[in-house]
Amino acid sequence: MAPPLFLQTIEDTGFSTWLRESESPFAFYFILLFHTFGLALLVGANMVVDLRLLGVARAVPLAPLKRLFSIMWIGFAMNAVTGVLLVIAYPTKSLTNPDFYVKLTVIGFALWVMWRIRSEVFEDANLNEAEMMARGAALAKWSLILWFGAITAGRLLAYTYKYLTFPS
Amino acid sequence: MNFPHLHLLLNHFPIIGTTVGLGLFLISLVGENEDLRRASLIIFAAMALLAIPTFFSGTGAQGAIKKLPGVSEALIERHQGAAMLALLFMEITGALSLLGLWKLQETSRPARWNWSLSAVLILSIITVGLMARVGTTGGDIRHPEIGSGQEEITEGSAISKMVARLEPSPGKFAELMTASKWWWAFMMDLHFVGLVLLIGTVGILDLRMLGFAKQIPIDPLHRLVPWAMAGFGLNLVTGVLAFTGMDQFYTYDWAFWLKMLAIMLLGLNVAAFYLTGVFESVRGLGPGEDAPPFAKFIAASSLFLWFAVITLGRYIQSYSDTITVHK
Repeated sequence: MAPPLFLQTIEDTGFSTWLRESESPFAFYFILLFHTFGLALLVGANMVVDLRLLGVARAVPLAPLKRLFSIMWIGFAMNAVTGVLLVIAYPTKSLTNPDFYVKLTVIGFALWVMWRIRSEVFEDANLNEAEMMARGAALAKWSLILWFGAITAGRLLAYTYKYLTFPS
Repeated sequence: MNFPHLHLLLNHFPIIGTTVGLGLFLISLVGENEDLRRASLIIFAAMALLAIPTFFSGTGAQGAIKKLPGVSEALIERHQGAAMLALLFMEITGALSLLGLWKLQETSRPARWNWSLSAVLILSIITVGLMARVGTTGGDIRHPEIGSGQEEITEGSAISKMVARLEPSPGKFAELMTASKWWWAFMMDLHFVGLVLLIGTVGILDLRMLGFAKQIPIDPLHRLVPWAMAGFGLNLVTGVLAFTGMDQFYTYDWAFWLKMLAIMLLGLNVAAFYLTGVFESVRGLGPGEDAPPFAKFIAASSLFLWFAVITLGRYIQSYSDTITVHK
């Protein structure tokens, strides 16, 4: 089955071609770089909150870690933007790969868990630390598993694609 | 500057450094000298860090001389295998030394003899022995004035024959790393996991020193540092394995070497943090308290350099073949 034609339409635009083929260091690799920065911010901050909820570095007070959610959202915003640009650069490569949809689904669940940790553990000012940890431990475990899954699914995109560009 | 020059510049440090470190370590044991023990552990950790670019620079040095008359590829391969085994023991010694240093800063009372010090003692002795062999086999490649430069391998003592059997064959090892794309994908995946572990923990400590989330006291946050070390260790292992798998690809790449430079500068940054009183100046800071300017400078340079490492790592692929000497 041939890939749908709209992929070729995107690929043939000047912007997509420039992103993909430009020799400039500010084209494809620049986008990829900021996708990695976003990953570092988003997953790095998540991981610290998760580890603390699971009992690592217990002397760190939990409540001020709420500030880390702003880092996570900055990271996520960067990756949403750069992610769209990467798809524009290689629409056929990404959208014909089942792993791409696995990655998006896993990220969806990871974001849902992240939102729940914020609303159920950090928004309730009446909770003491023990109660926060009791509520957050299971979510934190899922968060670590899902972000690890998202990184793995993302890495695998480089090794599992069927078409690099639209087949001629 | 070319690769043989760089290799010669670097390769004396791990050999002589570990020997000096071992000497100081032995004296510290006999004299029960706490400061000397700390100094020797610092030397082992520093040599473990420096051994990495030393090892990497060997491929370029090989490329520069292998076509010259009188240079034997077999001797170069023996030297490379010896270097791989020595690097393994050097890195384990360095990791255990960092563990020992971590324990020393955690407890203010004098450290008693424990398993990790015994392990450092045994491993550093082995490392010094293996480093001596790396130096000897390296010298054999091209030093006619000391009777080397022979065309084939002549193994001397029974010990060197035994050690030679334990040394990996560089060619076979490289094949092993690149035979399966899934193994390669797995290593790269772990390299990203290590990146997250490292930048997440170190980054938040740095940001707190710079004034972000000031309600967090610093000493408890600093307890996350072993997770950063685990991330660095993971990336050191996966990074070195990737290099041995595709050494030609990485060697002639500016982004790769600048990344190594940034990592060495980070070593200096860590040393400045722990050894010049910066850590003591921030350790006691509680909620809402501000770090002194020099601590902020160290935190900022740490953040800058780690993001530089990520940047240069990402550009390795697009900067392959940007170094053209001796290729």
